[in-house]
Amino acid sequence: MIDAFLAWLLLAGPLWAVIGLWALPQAADKRKNDAEPSLSTLQIAGVVSGFALGPLGIGLYYLRPRWITRATLTLGLLVAVFIASQALVRIEDPNLPSAAWLILAGPLWSAVAAYMIPRRYREAEADDRNALTAAALGGFAIGPLIIGLMWRHTPKISRDWMIVLGSLGAWQIYTLFALHNADNLCVAAPYHITYLAQQTANGVVIGCIYSLMAVGLTLIYSVQGIVSFAHGQLYMVGGYFSFYFLMHGSNLLSQLTGTEISINPLWGIPFAALIVFLMGALFERVFLKPMHDGLIERVAEYAILITFGFGFVIEYTTLAIAGPFPQRTDRFIEVRRFTLPRTQVTEEFAFGPINIIGDRAFAMLVGIALIFALLYFLQRSWTGRALRATSQDRQAAAVTGINPTNMNTLSFGLGSMLAAMSGAALIPIFAWVPWVGAEMVGRSYVIVVLGGLGSVPGALVGGIIVGIVEALGAGCHPDPSRGAAYKEAFALVIFALVLLLKPTGLFGREQH
Amino acid sequence: MRHRSAFVVTIALITMLTLVPMGMVSADGHCEFADYTITLGGLAPMSAPGAVAGGVAMDWAFKQAAADINADCGVQIDGVNYMLEVITGDSEGSPERGQAVAERLILEDEVDGMVGVYHSAVGLATMGIMEENAIPTIFSEPWNDNVSANGIIEFDGAAPRFADGIDHIFRISPASSMVGSVVTDWLIALGVEDVVLIVENTDYGQPAAADEQARLEAAGVTVSQIDVELGTEDFVPILSRIQASAEPPDAIRIVVTGETSFNLTQQMAELGIAPTPDTICVTNQIAFQHVQYWATVPDGNYCAFNRVGIIPSLFNDTAIELNAAYEAEFGDIVPSFGMASYDAVFMMVDAMERAGSYSDATAIVAAIEASDIMLSQGRYYFSYGSHNPDLPEGTPTFMWHQWPDPIVTVMQYFEQGQSSLEAAVVYPEVYQTHGSAYVVPGTSP
Repeated sequence: MIDAFLAWLLLAGPLWAVIGLWALPQAADKRKNDAEPSLSTLQIAGVVSGFALGPLGIGLYYLRPRWITRATLTLGLLVAVFIASQALVRIEDPNLPSAAWLILAGPLWSAVAAYMIPRRYREAEADDRNALTAAALGGFAIGPLIIGLMWRHTPKISRDWMIVLGSLGAWQIYTLFALHNADNLCVAAPYHITYLAQQTANGVVIGCIYSLMAVGLTLIYSVQGIVSFAHGQLYMVGGYFSFYFLMHGSNLLSQLTGTEISINPLWGIPFAALIVFLMGALFERVFLKPMHDGLIERVAEYAILITFGFGFVIEYTTLAIAGPFPQRTDRFIEVRRFTLPRTQVTEEFAFGPINIIGDRAFAMLVGIALIFALLYFLQRSWTGRALRATSQDRQAAAVTGINPTNMNTLSFGLGSMLAAMSGAALIPIFAWVPWVGAEMVGRSYVIVVLGGLGSVPGALVGGIIVGIVEALGAGCHPDPSRGAAYKEAFALVIFALVLLLKPTGLFGREQH
Repeated sequence: MRHRSAFVVTIALITMLTLVPMGMVSADGHCEFADYTITLGGLAPMSAPGAVAGGVAMDWAFKQAAADINADCGVQIDGVNYMLEVITGDSEGSPERGQAVAERLILEDEVDGMVGVYHSAVGLATMGIMEENAIPTIFSEPWNDNVSANGIIEFDGAAPRFADGIDHIFRISPASSMVGSVVTDWLIALGVEDVVLIVENTDYGQPAAADEQARLEAAGVTVSQIDVELGTEDFVPILSRIQASAEPPDAIRIVVTGETSFNLTQQMAELGIAPTPDTICVTNQIAFQHVQYWATVPDGNYCAFNRVGIIPSLFNDTAIELNAAYEAEFGDIVPSFGMASYDAVFMMVDAMERAGSYSDATAIVAAIEASDIMLSQGRYYFSYGSHNPDLPEGTPTFMWHQWPDPIVTVMQYFEQGQSSLEAAVVYPEVYQTHGSAYVVPGTSP
């Protein structure tokens, strides 16, 4: 059924998307009506309507520009995806659309666009902040046509642009993947929706937990401008402080009351937080303050080495005290897993069941609560504002009466504390050994750079993205063995792409 | 007068200081030792990413063996008693690091023999170094078949070790195929039809899984394999894949070591994948360490596991004493690699004593080949080596310089928090302790 695909290519699809991108702003320009939607909205409307319905869609918006709203655009995008999917699934030979995509769009055109368009924007003295990202995404999704249009008109690029183009690119990848792996759990109807939802839920749950650790790292960086290489060990030692607090506390209470008492691991979190906050603050005062006082010549190298050494000392001291044998605390909650039961939606399609391990769900809620508490503290309290002010301009902050030295100590203490709380939240979930932080901290570095160094919301979003990408990568890879073995690598691919397309990260501050 | 006394005291001190290193030393009052200390190099993973818990147990076993030997007047060669010292080198579980440490032990510390090694990758990477430097070696834990097979067959482009006339490498841990055959025979006997193998991506995991897969498929069992990296903590996305399959597998076999296997087993149980009445859970030998196991796999009741080494009910006096010492130190049952490491030191010393030399590698190798000694894991001997170089047809090549009798059993917990001493031995039938080949979850044997 190649005819369906060709018909869609002729009557709608990428070609008409580009025509729509050009045509709607042109029409609006001629009308010069103040009530017209903004230029970028018109461009998105052109792309979506052209891709979904071809000339029909473009004509619709051409005649009735007031119908261009976010809701109609979203609907249009869904229609576009549906029509294109219906066209593609009827093709017996999956190599045809793959080859067509590689010629008409894909990574080659993405690279060409990423090279050409930002230069063009700078030449035209247009706002080029998102030009690289939009060009790369546009080249990937629509191919050479978008290069011509962006080259000629250098349109202003909004975030909606990137969402639309990114969604189109993601859909194309998914569709091609589905054509080549018809039996894959992620695409094989009728259970693929449930499976994708299950893997997404897995990713969101673990991603929120990753975020908590990464938030501490980004906080330290935003205020002090250094990366703590002891973060993994502070995470690890937080788990151990919780473990020993719970063990000895339970024993003590049991002895005092004469009955068996087991303290809930939730109580280990504030205990670990307090101890590690003090550890971090003390370390900052003794070893990092000289750096900020100008007593150290090579600050960047010093910060790396001293935090690395701190981590080394923590890890091997813990190994000497706790030993190498894995530990784990009791559960947060007695529910082993939450299950969203199977629901028959239509005669042919059922959704569910979806399982989430109880303790993970609880740890996720703890992580989200702590991140929002931190955001509240940073936004609403005087100390939080002082921290933010110091992170933005140390000297200006000092002029307003903020003591940057104290803010340094506070930020390192808080960052360490967040790592420890993350560890204390995870020791009921993972087997805990003195080197448990190594894997987690590597992922944290990816998350903070992905989200934007210094951005707390960025760390949260970055953590969730990493979690979802890892889960979908491991769950959808055609070869289960490789999917599992390369789990961490999937997040690194996204990381590399973000670094290429948006070097400041998703929420990073622009440097001018 | 005072000058004379000072002179006498000075002379006496000088005499003592001169004579002590030259002559015999009394260690604890009943033995006289020569001034030379025999040293053995012990390779063990003492830091991450190696299996540190295993390395610590092996290091303890080396030291315990040396202490026990020295307490019994050390190594006795031609009427002279030599103190024994085992220098542990940290391989970190890495082949490159293992090679560097082996070279340091041989070239700088000038050890007289080598024992230990936990990870197969380290064993495979270091055996050439020991061979080149003619160091008698007894491996106590690596399982990869080629560790011993390479004595007489080409491996990885290298000539067989025996091609030079003498092979210095021995192994007293089982080969992967010896372990795999017991587990697969058990699964086949239970009548399973499809098995999922979850395998670590290492020189131990991959060949072991390949062997088990071949055996299962030969018996008509459908096998699918998932590889994982050691150190992975979150297995839920991978396990969701198994959970999404139309029918649950009959068995899930975990060929993963260390705390990684604990995380995997626990998450599998938490998700309700296995152990269940439909799916058998077969985890690895580290589950025998019941204190660690229950601390980290609280939902792992009814999981079966392969056990290497003598079963607790058959412990001899040496094993009982060793186990008591280990329990006093770590609060858990001595693992098989602890026993094997302890025995490896004793075997090396026994061979040196019979060879009449601590430095004549050829004589020591010949003595090891001729070993017939009862230690904590039972009677040690080697069927094939330069003393008997022709392997009969059908005999696997890994039997070269391989202790043929390591006991491999399949055990199963059937009560929450159960001691491994009380767990059921379910296979082979000759060792069964509870009269049952498998305890179905929710029941008792």
